Amino acid sequence: MIEHIVFYSLSTVVLVAAVCVVTMRNTVHSSLFLGLSLAGVAGLFAALGADFLFAAQVMVYVSGIAVLIMFSVMLLGRASDLHLRQVNEQWMAAVLICTVSSAGLLKIARAYCGTLAPSAPTPDTRAIGRLFMGEWLLPFELASLVLTAALLGAVFFSRSEASR
Amino acid sequence: MTLAHYLTVASLLFLIGVFGALTRRNIIGILMSIELMFNAANINLAAFERFLHPEGVAGATLALFIMTVAAAEVVVGLALLLAIYRNTDTAYVEDYNLLKG
Repeated sequence: MIEHIVFYSLSTVVLVAAVCVVTMRNTVHSSLFLGLSLAGVAGLFAALGADFLFAAQVMVYVSGIAVLIMFSVMLLGRASDLHLRQVNEQWMAAVLICTVSSAGLLKIARAYCGTLAPSAPTPDTRAIGRLFMGEWLLPFELASLVLTAALLGAVFFSRSEASR
Repeated sequence: MTLAHYLTVASLLFLIGVFGALTRRNIIGILMSIELMFNAANINLAAFERFLHPEGVAGATLALFIMTVAAAEVVVGLALLLAIYRNTDTAYVEDYNLLKG
């Protein structure tokens, strides 16, 4: 019973906040709702028993990416933006595309209607660490290389033209 | 709770992200919608691991790699965006037509 309450309240938070992200006229508000939606996804990870994923979601997404996006919204924003329409003319076509794809996606989801969790979730942080340091060592090191490249790229692109 | 519940939430989140990426005029709005889509994929990975393969951790590990790449993408994307904004003085994608000549 408690599992149902947790799942339905978390998914309501996630979906309502996501709708607010794509429909809000004020970009600052929609970036705040993005943070709420990402926190709700972290809660869904916790409900799924993925403890390390929950921690990573809170640390990387909620406190990293959402804050970074909020910073750029405030750097790039103008007061005149609040009076402009934030949605382009093709929104009818986008609704149509989403309706058609939702039919297909929900049909796939319906195929797993009777799949229940086989056992209670176990902590998986230790197993993830072993996998990263053993079998998946090369992808793990490549991920750190990607992060270093992203850091250098961000510094390079955000310098002003004059100092380059 | 069955797997179908989690898959439904994830697909709805993904479709909201697709809708945002197709319709937002502000380029940061498009980036935010892309983040929503990444999260939908991560929910799917975690749910498949929990319900179909509870003995391994491959789903969570792949989701962690997705998070890494998403973080790198956001950092580089926002830096590029600041550079474009400095040159064109607008954040609306329909004004980004420098390559039109």
